[in-house]
Amino acid sequence: MSFIARRLTFYATAFFLAISFNFLIPRLMPGDPVDALFAGAMGKMDPSQMEAVRAMYGFVDGPIWEQYLSYLVSVVNWDLGPSVLLFPTPVTEVLMIGLPWTVFLAGTSLFLSVLIGILSGTYAASNRGRWFDSIVPPLTMFISAFPYVVSAMVVFFFLGLKLKWFPLSYAYDPELDPAWTWEFISSVIKHSTLPMLSMVVVGISGWLFNMRNALINVLGEDYITMAEAKGLTPWRVMLRYAQRNAMLPVMTAVSMAVGFVLAGSLFTEVVFNYPGLGNLMLKAINARDYPLIQAILLLIVLCMLAANFVADLLLIWLDPRLRGK
Amino acid sequence: MDASVTGKPALPESGAKARPERQKKRFHRIRGFFHGNPPALIGVGLMVLMIVACSLAPVLAPFDPERRVARPHEAPSAEHWLGTTRSGRDIYSQALYGGRTSLAVAFGSGAIAMTIAVLLGMSSGYFGGKVDEWINFFTNVVLVFPQVPLLIVLAAFLGQVGPPVIALLIGLTAWPWGTRIIRAQTMALRYKEFVLAAEVMGERRWRIILVEILPNLISIVGGGFIGVVLYALLSQAGLEFLGLGDPSAVTWGTMLYWAQNNSSLFTGAWWDVFTPATIIAVFGGALALINMSIDQVSNPKLKTGPHLRIWKQLSVKIERQRSQS
Repeated sequence: MSFIARRLTFYATAFFLAISFNFLIPRLMPGDPVDALFAGAMGKMDPSQMEAVRAMYGFVDGPIWEQYLSYLVSVVNWDLGPSVLLFPTPVTEVLMIGLPWTVFLAGTSLFLSVLIGILSGTYAASNRGRWFDSIVPPLTMFISAFPYVVSAMVVFFFLGLKLKWFPLSYAYDPELDPAWTWEFISSVIKHSTLPMLSMVVVGISGWLFNMRNALINVLGEDYITMAEAKGLTPWRVMLRYAQRNAMLPVMTAVSMAVGFVLAGSLFTEVVFNYPGLGNLMLKAINARDYPLIQAILLLIVLCMLAANFVADLLLIWLDPRLRGK
Repeated sequence: MDASVTGKPALPESGAKARPERQKKRFHRIRGFFHGNPPALIGVGLMVLMIVACSLAPVLAPFDPERRVARPHEAPSAEHWLGTTRSGRDIYSQALYGGRTSLAVAFGSGAIAMTIAVLLGMSSGYFGGKVDEWINFFTNVVLVFPQVPLLIVLAAFLGQVGPPVIALLIGLTAWPWGTRIIRAQTMALRYKEFVLAAEVMGERRWRIILVEILPNLISIVGGGFIGVVLYALLSQAGLEFLGLGDPSAVTWGTMLYWAQNNSSLFTGAWWDVFTPATIIAVFGGALALINMSIDQVSNPKLKTGPHLRIWKQLSVKIERQRSQS
């Protein structure tokens, strides 16, 4: 089986298990979530709609496998029932309000921290023992242990509240209408600067160390000595010979990190009142909107699987050994 | 025996001589870990200081953490070193008492996760075959699940969870990383001579795993443990910050929760937010520095700064001695 086919099978199985797990959570937990949900809706829902939610959850009368099948069918049809929070909008529509912002925030900050981390990691590895290498890696390591909440609050307080450099909440100026105008785009950039900064600062360290350590190992290989002996420029040796090989473990780490960044974005969004999935999730938790909470989990799993797949494709591009016979 | 403790190696008996020798060796090893390694020194120092301070909370704390002892949001003063909360509780006392709970949760979940990781990782790596296939598949699936969102969903379904439940939840979800590394390392040791010799000698399997292989994994298990403790500290703070924890328990996370809920930053009571935030960040940073140092000691190639210089001087000295002889 080729590499891609093997990975795709794995992702399909993992997603299937995630759905099954989502099916099990409400059944393993104490109490009936549909009743709690009905109480939480405070009269916004009539009993017939409650029946619909029951069906969506798979709480139909009958043996457990029948419930399971009905749940699978509703997930595959992307029909996750109505949301309690924004009743009666379907959960899937509510998700689409938050998803783009979270993907934008998490994706861009992941990209930036990987970029900065790889560059500074390369610099640290090629100047080992100098001041940069002795100070910067331990310092970023220290910062990386800050919870996202803390780094967000620090940035929020000093750069937002005290210095008033950047706006403190929302994704764009509420007075503007979303459009592809420079005014709107610059407003989006301005509003995302602080949350992004707080996430990038926390994220750099992992990439710096990954890159530095991988590069140090690669630089000890014989083919590097060979390349240097051939008289290639140090620049060429670093980029074409060392970095490409050192990138492999880094790429694998990127796919693992997507989950962390998405989770971090959940907290950051809450602090900055950014209208992404995190904010939605907090509101859903407070409103006991279980369908929405579960749908967000499912969506994050999907995002992670997609990111893993992209990382796989990148790996194939970087590592010819994976292309098979 | 007494002579050996007082450190008089002049005695001719070998048994009495071996002990101070061994102590000396151990001391050397500990000194070697810290020598020229400021990050390790800073990390361990901060961690020990905070653990001691928190465990001495009843002695050090001037007030009862759960009683109203002053007016709301009093600024730091001689009487209330770190100010008071919105509800008039002394923050310094709260931080000390809260640290006991927070650290207990962090270390507790670290212990749970690493026990699972050692059991699964070692049986997977040692037995191989079908056992390995299943455990590895299971681990990979759990790794695809985004840990923090999963925690949030579980906590949301359980309602507001107390510290012990948080420890359990984190411990039961944080084991896959450790499992992977331990599995890989066990596989590397599986066919070494000393393991084969033990097998030929007819040692029992559990004895081979626990007595022959496990001691070689101590640094990995230790590093993994610190990693999970760090992750648990951060995610506990995150969960409680979102209001998923039990708000009546005094922990660093609930302190953040109340501070955020009372919009302390907007009303100018920065101490209410920044005390728990700084404490969590500093403790987390200390753990991260320790973990980095463990990495560098177990793989000297990765060393930074002064440590590297000592290493280089040493190799120069050895070179010189060799050329003289």
